[in-house]
Amino acid sequence: MATIKDRYAIVGVGESERSKNSGTTPLHLALDAARAALKDAGLEAREIDGVMSYSENDSCTSHQLATYLGARPKYVKDIMGGGSSTEMLIADAIGLIETGQVNTVLIYRAMNGRSGVRMGGGGWDVNMLQGAMDGGSFFIPYGAGGPGQWFGLFATRHMQQTGITQEHLGHVCVSFYEHAQRNPKAFFYGKPLTMEEYLKTPHLSYPFTKHDFCLESDEANAIIVTSAEKAKDCKSKPVYIMGIEARRTVSHAHYWTNLDEVASDFVAPSLYKKAGVTPQDIQVASIYDCFSWVVLRQLEAYGFAARGEVGDFVASGNLKMGGKLPTNTAGGMLSEGYTHGMNNVLEIVRQIRHDYKGTDRQVENCEIGICTGWSGPDIAGAMILRN
Amino acid sequence: MSYQKPIPLKTQDNQPYWDAADRHELVLQKCDTCHSYNHPPGPACAKCGSTELSWESQGSDITGSIYSYVVSYRPFLPGFQDDLPTIIVVVQLDHLPDVKIIGNVLGCPPEELKIGMPVKMTWQDITEDRALPQWIQA
Repeated sequence: MATIKDRYAIVGVGESERSKNSGTTPLHLALDAARAALKDAGLEAREIDGVMSYSENDSCTSHQLATYLGARPKYVKDIMGGGSSTEMLIADAIGLIETGQVNTVLIYRAMNGRSGVRMGGGGWDVNMLQGAMDGGSFFIPYGAGGPGQWFGLFATRHMQQTGITQEHLGHVCVSFYEHAQRNPKAFFYGKPLTMEEYLKTPHLSYPFTKHDFCLESDEANAIIVTSAEKAKDCKSKPVYIMGIEARRTVSHAHYWTNLDEVASDFVAPSLYKKAGVTPQDIQVASIYDCFSWVVLRQLEAYGFAARGEVGDFVASGNLKMGGKLPTNTAGGMLSEGYTHGMNNVLEIVRQIRHDYKGTDRQVENCEIGICTGWSGPDIAGAMILRN
Repeated sequence: MSYQKPIPLKTQDNQPYWDAADRHELVLQKCDTCHSYNHPPGPACAKCGSTELSWESQGSDITGSIYSYVVSYRPFLPGFQDDLPTIIVVVQLDHLPDVKIIGNVLGCPPEELKIGMPVKMTWQDITEDRALPQWIQA
């Protein structure tokens, strides 16, 4: 098997406006994001020969986007999926480029995630849910209808087993909200959160308060992937993919059969092996943050703190600027915006390119970063990037 | 008033479980090849892929302990708005620790919930011909 280490790169990133009510369609948002990514890369639409997207049946198709972008791709693909789909599609794109199907791929996620189809639970047809999810009849009738409850069952057990407290969840929120205060485009820009306020906030669904839930937003994000060779012709500074683990699963699709394993546990070892680095080599992170606890569980899985020490790791300020692992530095999905993870990918690309150089947003001298995706406890992927 | 919450859908893979629940009994799917229990039940054994499956009654005297829980203060599904907070638990069966069953603990103050708390299965008659396995403090 050929190693792909450093042979592929992200050469463009872009986003549409972010709002709670876009007043427009996902296609319009996708076009804005795609044009911004093309401009960032210094590429023309006709140079894009692959287009891919992921959605929950709440977006436009890749063929539609290509049509109105003026691209005539040789390959289009639309998959059903949420978190961790960005990493998977990047890996798919690399495979397609490697076999000569395409040269340059644009990947996007477009959604009216607040004004249109919402992910937080509620409003879904209950019989559809029972049929769509493995063993759905064994939890939908008990009121477990959203990710806050599905993942919360993992969180309560894990917290009890490893000594993670409510305050530790709060440190994730407070750290990310602090990042958002430097990002005028973040939803929670101008709305910092103190630990005192956090601890006073009632639970929506124990162990989670509203601060532990991610946001919902209307927006689109796009990224462009190509070979390292082609990247030389782009205007942007390429961000090289050192290693990528596309999508791992746990042992059962009804993932509550084992609350003590998450897919990220299986991603980490092969990811580090492929990239040839260890957690100590990583200076900046985008950790999928649909819930605060999900960040803590992944810090353990990816080896940034030992099991039982993750709470102390975040309490010491390590996720903040100047910490050991500045994480979700645009505010993450907890406080910036929500595109099923892609906004966190955009941010880490910009950090590794040193786009913020000379401002207080730049993580000093960061050369290597990790970007993780979490579809749920059941499915995950991740990549390690360098400048 | 009629029952407002979602009612378990019987399918070809789970029908014996819910039929048993309707008569206030727990049956579990068991693999005849590797002898593991499959919960939730499926079209084949999730451990070894065997399609040689049978159903084994566990009776009506079922005890377990809380393996994990959440307490929801807003409804995420229809019917739960009148029943808040909703306590959702994963229960580990005492006699088959590998089997974990999701349910609600009825009549339990949330502050008394604890991982390891002993519970006992009960059945809630939700319609004329359907019953839902539930849990109460043991």
